Amino acid sequence: MTGKKLLLSTLFTAFLVFVAGCNNQKEVQEITVAAASDVYLAFTEIGAKFKEETGTEVIFSFGSTGQLTKQIEEGAPFDAFAAANQSYIQELHDKEAIIDEYQKNYAIGRLGVYYPNLEIEQFDMNLMLDPSIKTIAIANPEHAPYGKAAKEALESMGIWAQVKDKIVYAENIRQAFQYVETGNADIGIVALALIEQSNQENFSLIDQHEHQPITQTFGIPVQSKKIEQAKQFIDFVLSETGQEILLKYGFEIPQE
Amino acid sequence: MEPILHPLYLSVKIALIATCFSFILGLIFAWFFTYKKNIWTELISLLVTLPLILPPTVLGYYLLLAVGNQSIIGRLFESITGGPLVFTWKAAVIAATIASLPLLIRPIQVGFESIETDILNSARLDGATNWDIFRFVILPLSYKGVLAGLILGFARAMGEFGATLMIAGNIPGKTQTLSIAIYDAVQANRMMDAHLMVMMLSVVTILILFVVHRWLNKG
Repeated sequence: MTGKKLLLSTLFTAFLVFVAGCNNQKEVQEITVAAASDVYLAFTEIGAKFKEETGTEVIFSFGSTGQLTKQIEEGAPFDAFAAANQSYIQELHDKEAIIDEYQKNYAIGRLGVYYPNLEIEQFDMNLMLDPSIKTIAIANPEHAPYGKAAKEALESMGIWAQVKDKIVYAENIRQAFQYVETGNADIGIVALALIEQSNQENFSLIDQHEHQPITQTFGIPVQSKKIEQAKQFIDFVLSETGQEILLKYGFEIPQE
Repeated sequence: MEPILHPLYLSVKIALIATCFSFILGLIFAWFFTYKKNIWTELISLLVTLPLILPPTVLGYYLLLAVGNQSIIGRLFESITGGPLVFTWKAAVIAATIASLPLLIRPIQVGFESIETDILNSARLDGATNWDIFRFVILPLSYKGVLAGLILGFARAMGEFGATLMIAGNIPGKTQTLSIAIYDAVQANRMMDAHLMVMMLSVVTILILFVVHRWLNKG
């Protein structure tokens, strides 16, 4: 009677799982914040401080700004959205997916060249043209804000055409960083926020005038059920405590 | 441990429920594809392999449109249960079911097709109903194929990532499965956590498959 046994075991498992799934209701004060992955470290720390001061727990959903934007359009239950670039908040605003007020710039990302695989004292942009540099990792300029800025910088320095064939495109800025970190790319143009303190000497900032500023902006999705707490969290990020933490992790503070 | 144990629990729960759904659907589909052969069932049998063809995030995007808050299915679900479907663990069950379905159907269908029609006809001559034939003839004779399908389907459901990330999201404590938690840890450069969770995902999945395989293979 193997057929019977199989059907029985299926039903039994389904029952077990159903029973196991019925015990996870808890009511605590919490908000869910969608955030670009480049603020991971900074926001984790800010979130912990925020909980200390207000008692509200912040659950972060980190992801690529592009994907989070699509999810918010489809009604994802986020109370606030920290995008890696202003343009996404603008896009959501045009589609009436975020509320009118409380679009706030919270940080400016800084871009630079990361070269832990090279044994040099000082980095010079012309080094990118050197034949010994075979691969340069950047995030995809099509959809990643740091990738777009990296391309703009190379164009503005007038070396895009020469280095174009050396470039490998990563899905996001973290992946570009990993290409370099694992030695698969010779150098990378990545976010300062990703570089740990001990690696700062292998990092050389690119002048901000070489690319459009990477202004990171908050918005509150229309479906947010906790607008007051969301505003409170945004205010906290913009407060001195929040901005100090962002500074520590390699962001600049936007001027209002 | 909480940030690791909850995703593990969620993954196992979602994969088990999804495998149950796709097992039942898989049996029904395989039965139709084997015993109701015509041009339409043949086309549909190829159509259900689409989840294997499409990139997972693309599949997830279409699923998001198909069962999202604006869709008919999404609205129906919300009016019945009072809560939205997408961005909950139930959405992850849908993603895992769809993703594992083709892997269940194929081996089961091959199992069904390997049964001689003479055997089915003689059972029918002896007065067996269709349901009897299915339970006592088809299932036992195609046992190996069914087992293979279950194992492939469950493994796929445990590892499901792209479509789940899209329609269930990456919300810790709510929809963050082990596969998504691993991705999250890698993104955040928490490589030790990632290695630990990869170990857990592998060990737990293989253990479950081992037990199921031993248990069901005895029959």
